[in-house]
Amino acid sequence: MRSEDDLELNAYIDGELSPDQQAELLESMRSDPELARHASELGQLKAQLRLAYADPPKPQRQGVAKVGASWRAIAASFLLLGLGLVSGWVLHANAPGLGIQGDRFVVLDPAGRGQAPAITEEGETRIVFHLTNPDQTLAGELLDDVESMLAAYESDGRPLRIEVVGHSEGLSLLRERLSQHKERIHQLAGQYTNLTFVACQNTINRLKVERGIEVKLVPDAEVIDSGVSHVVKRQKEGWSYIRV
Amino acid sequence: MTDSNSSLFGKFGRQRKLREQICAERERLYRIAWSWCHDSHLADDLVQETQARALAKINSLREESRLQVWLTQILANLYRDQFRRVQPETGLEAELLAASGGPEDATDRSQLIARTREAIERLKDDQRQVLTLVDIAEFSYADTAAILSVPVGTVMSRLSRARQRMREILEQQGIGRADVVPLRRPR
Repeated sequence: MRSEDDLELNAYIDGELSPDQQAELLESMRSDPELARHASELGQLKAQLRLAYADPPKPQRQGVAKVGASWRAIAASFLLLGLGLVSGWVLHANAPGLGIQGDRFVVLDPAGRGQAPAITEEGETRIVFHLTNPDQTLAGELLDDVESMLAAYESDGRPLRIEVVGHSEGLSLLRERLSQHKERIHQLAGQYTNLTFVACQNTINRLKVERGIEVKLVPDAEVIDSGVSHVVKRQKEGWSYIRV
Repeated sequence: MTDSNSSLFGKFGRQRKLREQICAERERLYRIAWSWCHDSHLADDLVQETQARALAKINSLREESRLQVWLTQILANLYRDQFRRVQPETGLEAELLAASGGPEDATDRSQLIARTREAIERLKDDQRQVLTLVDIAEFSYADTAAILSVPVGTVMSRLSRARQRMREILEQQGIGRADVVPLRRPR
């Protein structure tokens, strides 16, 4: 078979021929069984390939599906969070986040109502952000919001402590190689002693075991054993909890 | 609400929509990535990195209708630059064997799937990419050319050679014209 014919047959089964070209080719096939057989083989191969890749094996990895599924909700809640801080409106998010009510920062409950953040007996506001999302744009917005809040509390002289826990996919914010906000983290951590970045050791171990990755963290990150137990502990201690 | 506020909403609304679309492309991207590397962890990494990069430079997407091409372009660039070299030698065979399901499950269908994947595996990288983009991801020649940054003519010649080679390999394996296995239409 001539190579032009072969290219044309391929284009035919891929739906790349114009109607006129198709008509012409179908006409040739009628008088050339070899051509017709070749076309049908190509078509069969195409179908066979689709079948072979219709259901590729999924990685056996904890938590991946969960992150994927909740991503949309997280993205939506964060978007609202960003909007609220920019515009100063009361927020009506359908997922927990941070908002502004009047001139006060509030933590949103699942119904979107603003609640004053938890305050300890010593009068200190404490918030732990649990970052599990790999989206660094969202992480950047988180840092914006954290900085606004830190600045506002500092100027009012109100005590505040914030922790950002990088866990699962969210660890990428704190990884030397992946973080797009290294300088920002360094600057914030240097400026605010009441802000802590915390990395999950379990996630680091898992990356090493499952993917052979030696995680190097940004210099300002502290390490705790387990991100999950840490945020649970913080909630028991009365911190406000925001999942990002 | 002032004009500036509504434009703020407009901008964020578009971004939110795009983000949701990017997330929704996950399965499709994974299928392409896996067909290139036949390693589920690597494919998963590729997809995550692709989505992260896409989200980070979401504003550089000019035409929203080109989202799939744009995402697959990012995936192809990542694959070329970072992942092709570190592809582990071992993961592959294990996963291909797993696909055939062992002797108890040696149905025609699972054998056909395993042998097709093996044949794909034996193609040259550039032929495999073109073939999978056209047949599995169902991109047009023009989109495939854009994704791989090659001329359309190159796509056509690679495709033709790839299919020729596939038929040779499959015939060597014994899936020839004589024993055609009925195909169920994939999703």
